[in-house]
Amino acid sequence: MNFTLRIWRQKNAEAKGGMVSYSVSGVSADSSFFEMLDILNQQLVDEGAEPVCFDHDCREGICGTCSLYINGRPHGPVKGVTTCQLHMRSFADGETISIEPWRAKAFPIVRDLIVDRSALDRINQAGGYVSVNSGGVPDANSIPVRKADSDAAFDAAACIGCGACVAACANAAAMLFVGAKVSHLALLPQGKVEARERVLKMVECMDDLGFGGCSNTYACEAECPKGISVANIAMMNREFLSSAIRKEKSSPFTGGF
Amino acid sequence: MRFERMKPFDIIIVGGGGGGLYAAMEAMKTNPSLKIAVLSKVYPNRSHTSAAQGGANAALANKAKDDSVEMHIFDTIKGSDYLADQDAVDILCSEAPKIIRELDNMGTPWSRLDDKTIAQRPFGGAGRPRCCYCADKTGHTILQTLYEQCLKKGVVFFNEYFALNLSVSGSRMKGLIAMDMKTGKIEGLSARTVIFATGGYAKMYWNRSSNAAGNSGDGQAIAYRAGIPLKDMEFVQFHPTGLRKSGLLVTEGARGEGGYLVNSLGERFMARYAPEKMELGPRDLVSRSVETEILEGRGFESPAGKYMHLDLTHLGADLIKSRLPQIREMSMYFEGVDPIEEPIPIRPTAHYSMGGIDTDNFGRTVMEGVYAAGECACVSVHGANRLGGNSLLDILVFGRIAGHAAAEEARNFEPGNISEEEVRESAEEIRNYMKPAGHFERYGALREELGQTLANNVGIYREASLLQKGMSDIEELRERFKKVRVFDTSDVFNTNLLQVLELRNMLDLSETVAAGAYAREESRGSHTRTDFPNRDDEKWHKHTLAALEGGKLALGEKPVTMGRYELQERTY
Ligand SMILES: Cc1cc2nc3c(=O)[nH]c(=O)nc-3n(C[C@H](O)[C@H](O)[C@H](O)COP(=O)(O)OP(=O)(O)OC[C@H]3O[C@@H](n4cnc5c(N)ncnc54)[C@H](O)[C@@H]3O)c2cc1C
Ligand code: FES
Repeated sequence: MNFTLRIWRQKNAEAKGGMVSYSVSGVSADSSFFEMLDILNQQLVDEGAEPVCFDHDCREGICGTCSLYINGRPHGPVKGVTTCQLHMRSFADGETISIEPWRAKAFPIVRDLIVDRSALDRINQAGGYVSVNSGGVPDANSIPVRKADSDAAFDAAACIGCGACVAACANAAAMLFVGAKVSHLALLPQGKVEARERVLKMVECMDDLGFGGCSNTYACEAECPKGISVANIAMMNREFLSSAIRKEKSSPFTGGF
Repeated sequence: MRFERMKPFDIIIVGGGGGGLYAAMEAMKTNPSLKIAVLSKVYPNRSHTSAAQGGANAALANKAKDDSVEMHIFDTIKGSDYLADQDAVDILCSEAPKIIRELDNMGTPWSRLDDKTIAQRPFGGAGRPRCCYCADKTGHTILQTLYEQCLKKGVVFFNEYFALNLSVSGSRMKGLIAMDMKTGKIEGLSARTVIFATGGYAKMYWNRSSNAAGNSGDGQAIAYRAGIPLKDMEFVQFHPTGLRKSGLLVTEGARGEGGYLVNSLGERFMARYAPEKMELGPRDLVSRSVETEILEGRGFESPAGKYMHLDLTHLGADLIKSRLPQIREMSMYFEGVDPIEEPIPIRPTAHYSMGGIDTDNFGRTVMEGVYAAGECACVSVHGANRLGGNSLLDILVFGRIAGHAAAEEARNFEPGNISEEEVRESAEEIRNYMKPAGHFERYGALREELGQTLANNVGIYREASLLQKGMSDIEELRERFKKVRVFDTSDVFNTNLLQVLELRNMLDLSETVAAGAYAREESRGSHTRTDFPNRDDEKWHKHTLAALEGGKLALGEKPVTMGRYELQERTY
């Protein structure tokens, strides 16, 4: 297969970036999107040009490292997959494919297609944890948890933190990401205790970092490679409202749920 | 490239996988006044630990009421083909239930049984169902929990930093030299103690490996270059079912649910090798069987190499969709095959490194102030063959122990002081890869050739002549590597340069794997010599050590610590 690629090139965080066109040919339909980019990079190296930089690690859809905005969609045209799981047979021969980095104020571009997603860590740092006295609990018993609750908590915990929800959102909100963490922990007895405090801290941090508010377009759910449901945002909204009323905080939710 | 120096740390942990993060969390807890940093080339929550699906073993006896720590100990020792140190295995299995509960307290969403207790599933080589899991994402969820705790406790993270070298003067470790991948800056991080937790080295088999790109054994290579011995490097575990092209793992679950292994004659060939257990024999045995079928000409041919079929078609669409959705997904994405309609093309894939940095039961290496934990260390609890579900356990238990030991001992050591000169030397070494040269080598080609020669000559079946070929290939590749050039001269995220640095580490380590395999004239666990088909306890019931002496690899040995269990034949 042959493709024309329009790729965002940017030397570093400060430099001005722009789209550059390349062509690649002789790509097998079975090759993955990254194998296709490897071919391009080998080509560039052979010509003495700088290869295109992009993030990847596991290449099997679990680590959340890969992050390309392909033809206007996070992780490309196929639903429920990460960029590393994408294959060239999902594109038409001769197609022009545009490849850009995640676009969000809170995700500054580092180089080419690589963005800095450490803002997500900072949100978690603000409250996305259970404050038990961790370490050395030799005699503790495991906590009884209903199967239905642990399954629901697990579904929320399936988030790989790739940031596609932010990239998909017109407001660059991180609601689905935060909602998933809030639900995961609030559904378990060990996380329930601090649920309200947690949501306040996380939402406050999210606002400070420049993520937008939620206007209920559900684009995040549609683009999430792990199928995280917007029901998690609803759960977070409930936790938030009940705690915000107490602390008289304003809600980041512009739409009603 | 610029260089910079910072104030010394009490503990620097290299690696943010399950091993490194548990160490950081425990060290913080042991002494919150310590200055502790974790350095990782990928964001910690994206470390390879996230790929572990199956689970972690612990004798909680939730599912099988008669399970016990003692049975877990015995299964592990037998599985190791009696090469594991029995005192270390005691620690591993006795600590297991605590570790699972501790994670539970911190919010890891363990799957549950109807009685609200933590669910457990059966795993190869275990006498009872004792593997605790979070559906098919156990490693991922454990890693999230640990990362949350470390963020909360104020561990300092150097993310997207690449460790280059240990700084050593005489016998004293002074800290670590690393590159900030985002700026290309080389930094000297002085420290009282360093814990290596950089994961395994099985990626050296390249596309014949289930590992992520980053599992290049960096920590082992850095330690080795600093003169710290590596142990049992020849023991590499092959998983029987990797995808044909990419080596990605098709989990044991596929066979657990009733999948068949079929050769090109349409035979369920496991009948020849394990008539009772069939497809569910232990990993090393099933891998050898698949390889034998291929070598004897009963494999399928393809441009990507010979392969076998993993047939699930008889299980029906419903079961495949409900119980094995991930496997179906993977097979469709990566091989273009829908297992509901066609068998999955598979072949054995390098999966796990039993060998690693030689440590005692507290994670200490022979060099004062240097510790290791997780897959990069060899305590040894896995001996010649690791059981499924024991590796997550290993990284958690020994990550915690090493973190605790380093926190207790850090203040006994003087803080190191890395000189500007040293940092400049490291920067210079790196700049050399970017200097234009007349004739040059491509790292991509070398990397693939290394994987090929390892798979062919230092693979599942080994023999003197093959191993000699492997060793001379590796020597040649190391020679050619000297001419490798990086054409990307950018300081910012120079992925080309990073791949070259990883290749260098894989090349250094591959020599120890091949040399250990050549020396060990017996068959034990994952190491199978066709010219020495039997286990030879008299000569080889001992660990192999590989150390760099005067710039050359020197092999040594170390006795195995025995305990309650005498040597026995290993049959299943
Ligand atoms: C596909 C697959 C499935 C598995 N399933 C299971 C299972 O079900 N049960 C089980 O028990 N085990 C399983 N294992 C094995 C287990 O997952 C690993 O052994 C374990 O996760 C290793 O953890 P670790 O903390 O030692 O290293 P890793 O998780 O590999 O982390 C290594 C860390 O070191 C860092 N690092 C490496 N080099 C450098 C450097 N030069 N500079 C800076 N940082 C560096 C990385 O960034 C990373 O943070 C599986 C393995 C694979 C490949
Ligand atoms: S590279 Fe790991 S999810 Fe894509």
